[in-house]
Amino acid sequence: MPLSPLATDKELSDFLKSVEKRAFKRTAYTVRNDDAALDIVQDAMIRLAEKYVDRPPAELPLIFQRILSNATMDWFRRQKVRNALFVNLSDFEGADDDGGDFDLLELLDTSGNRTSTENAADSVSRMQVLKAIDAQVAQLPTRQREAFLLRYWEELDVAETASVMGCSEGSVKTHCSRAVHALAKALRTKGVTL
Amino acid sequence: MNQTPTRPAPPMARQALEDRIAARLTSALTEYQASSMPADIDARLRFAHERALAAARLALAQRAPAPSVLGASGSAAVLGAAGGPSDAPWWLRLGSLVPFAVLLGGLLLIDNHYLRTQIDAAAEVDAAILVDDLPPEAYRDQGFVEYLKSSRP
Repeated sequence: MPLSPLATDKELSDFLKSVEKRAFKRTAYTVRNDDAALDIVQDAMIRLAEKYVDRPPAELPLIFQRILSNATMDWFRRQKVRNALFVNLSDFEGADDDGGDFDLLELLDTSGNRTSTENAADSVSRMQVLKAIDAQVAQLPTRQREAFLLRYWEELDVAETASVMGCSEGSVKTHCSRAVHALAKALRTKGVTL
Repeated sequence: MNQTPTRPAPPMARQALEDRIAARLTSALTEYQASSMPADIDARLRFAHERALAAARLALAQRAPAPSVLGASGSAAVLGAAGGPSDAPWWLRLGSLVPFAVLLGGLLLIDNHYLRTQIDAAAEVDAAILVDDLPPEAYRDQGFVEYLKSSRP
């Protein structure tokens, strides 16, 4: 099997630049503390650079997401709130509402006006919509949010997401579906369309 | 009131719809993040970025192979070759043992020379005693030994 070329300095730099902001946001959603999230992301980036710099560039995204997830878990361990976290998680999971009969199409703006020119009022309104989406994502149960962000924001496939989260592919699909339905329903309730 | 009951979408269509909504949601998240990221967080991420790159350079430098010990002429680089010892031909790996063999031979020669010098010195003393006028038994006499010591200037 031919060996893939190793990541160069520029490739590593470009990769970090492409993921660092999303990594921060994802971690901030989880730990709900910007300073802690910055520390965790920095720690994960340095760990990746020190230990996996000799890996091919194509392997870096998955490795980095694993390191980031482990670093986040380490942070929770250090905070001695891991048990509380999982108790809360199970509470959330049990109370999940997967949308029921809610029609996802109601969330989509099918009028075809999405690309029209925005004026100042539209811009403000758009920012409010974005803020509402951000708030709703932050309110998702942790596992659903992790699956949703890894699968759709980090663009990992189902198997890779399952690997990072340490669960089955079926669980990833379930978490993602529930997350999309929960977001769609919450945003529709607020009158938001996409 | 003329509502038609909605038929559940087939799994493929449902998955496609979920993917479409998810794509729009994550696109919105990216847009919101780009427009709302505080400058101090941006600066700290840049700092973390630089630290990570520095760590990578250090790690690569530490993993680089050691410089050749005997490589002054280029052709005699038998230690620390770029591909590692396992990549070198057998005669080259055998050649790396030559300096140790030379060192061991040199130590044996020095030890042998030192031993021979001691033997020669002892033989000279023995010869001097044997050709002397005094019989060797005289040196066993404690009184004679004391006499020799006290008679030295």
